[in-house]
Amino acid sequence: MVVTQLSTRPRHGGGHSAPRSGEPRIRIRDVTLAYGPLQIIGGISLDIASGETISVIGPSGCGKTTLLRMLAGLARPTSGGVELDGSVLGGPNRSVAIVFQDYGKALLPWRTAAGNVSLALEARGCPAKERPAIVRDLLEKIGLGQHAAKYPREMSGGMQQRLQIARCLAQEPKVLLMDEPFGALDAMTRQALQDEVLGLVATTGATMVFVTHDLEEAIYLGDRIVCLQPNPGRVGRIVDVSLARPRDQLLTREDPEFLRLRRELYDLIKDDHQ
Amino acid sequence: MKAVPLRKLVLGIGGLAAFILLWKLVTDAKLVSPVFFPGPERTYVALVKGLSGGPLLSQTFETVKRMLLGWLLASFVGILFGALVGVSKRARAFIAPTLELLRPLPASAMIPVAIAFLGFSDNMVLVVIAFGALWPMLLATVHGFAAMEPRLYEVSEVLGLNRAQVIWKLALPSAMPMILASLRLGLTISLILAVVGEMLASREGLGQSILAASRSFRSADLFAGIVILGAIGLFGSRLLSVAERHLLRWQASSR
Repeated sequence: MVVTQLSTRPRHGGGHSAPRSGEPRIRIRDVTLAYGPLQIIGGISLDIASGETISVIGPSGCGKTTLLRMLAGLARPTSGGVELDGSVLGGPNRSVAIVFQDYGKALLPWRTAAGNVSLALEARGCPAKERPAIVRDLLEKIGLGQHAAKYPREMSGGMQQRLQIARCLAQEPKVLLMDEPFGALDAMTRQALQDEVLGLVATTGATMVFVTHDLEEAIYLGDRIVCLQPNPGRVGRIVDVSLARPRDQLLTREDPEFLRLRRELYDLIKDDHQ
Repeated sequence: MKAVPLRKLVLGIGGLAAFILLWKLVTDAKLVSPVFFPGPERTYVALVKGLSGGPLLSQTFETVKRMLLGWLLASFVGILFGALVGVSKRARAFIAPTLELLRPLPASAMIPVAIAFLGFSDNMVLVVIAFGALWPMLLATVHGFAAMEPRLYEVSEVLGLNRAQVIWKLALPSAMPMILASLRLGLTISLILAVVGEMLASREGLGQSILAASRSFRSADLFAGIVILGAIGLFGSRLLSVAERHLLRWQASSR
């Protein structure tokens, strides 16, 4: 049982928060993003410690996905910048993996499950001889060991999303970004994947930024929850989650603290919607 | 599951038999003079005679060789050039209008040009075939590359694939359904142009053979040649659809 070390930290009302110790894994430094006159992100600053899990919530149009894309190097901030381990992130980086919501488009339909995972290994120049063992290991880890030879179309949505996660793990990322990854899945599959992702993050020590519009998912997964506000996107509140780990779908969700957080976030989001 | 292809095969053969029967009825009734329109029996006899010891076998070989060479040349140039153009938005914008101008040109209109440059030679015929068969493959490759799922480009960036890997591992496979369909179309065009080219340039092959048969009122030989041409087309298309099924086995529905 690891009680999150974040519980003792004071809650931050503003944008900037102190890392747990030393250099943060990710430092978001006053980033803005505008398309012409349209301001999408209006100045976000945030430090994310190594191994931390951040949930990002907010009403639609608040720039959740845009923020994540900037962390992935897929979108360029208009001003400000993102630093990974102290150096500026100039573009996509193998150390930062991203799981897209639309797994159907992110997977290669002409490659089997094994082939899709292998792509990440091919990209980082892993010798062909070593690939099959690594692929098998990763598929096993994510519960797709029996389905290595299947094509994506032969797999359920949950399996396809597992596959995308496996491909991300093959990058051996320091940071795992997730863009509403379970939004299209049914409730049971969703909970199973939440637990698996938590397990993977715990064993690999990866830092995770998880965008969701599901308040309970945000609480269940996160060490901290960043609530964004729209027009332009900015940090409204940062809420610490002091729930014990490992978390449990039944016990954690019945915890009075969980219920309290849910009410608090609900009120926050509701205000933004008005 | 297995009964369905079998039924399809039986139906197909039945249709072919009905067609031959109709052919026989029309010729037996002498609706058209037998001098110009032989029945299936006479055609069959001419076919057997021509293939065993006669010139039909070597002529078939020549035509198939011409067709395949032209087709391969067109495929190679079409896919390679199509990939180069398709991979870059700027190259597409630069070259696309020119391609659209050249594409609707009938390949037969190029024959006089090719004759002017190359004379009545095998190479002239080859160039005409390649020119005619090039367009569907070129355009399919360009469009196939352009139509690649944008999300996959992002995946390639995040994974850190280099440009060659993006082309080889993402763009080409994703364009493959369109390219394969165009290869089939290109093969048909190649056969047509091989025959036309042989007729015009008097090169050895089925085209020249059926033209000569027609001019000397050997209608059975003429029809034997036509039957072989039909068989070449059918066989080529079948072969390609087997390849297609294998290469596209990842797709949702098999055709």
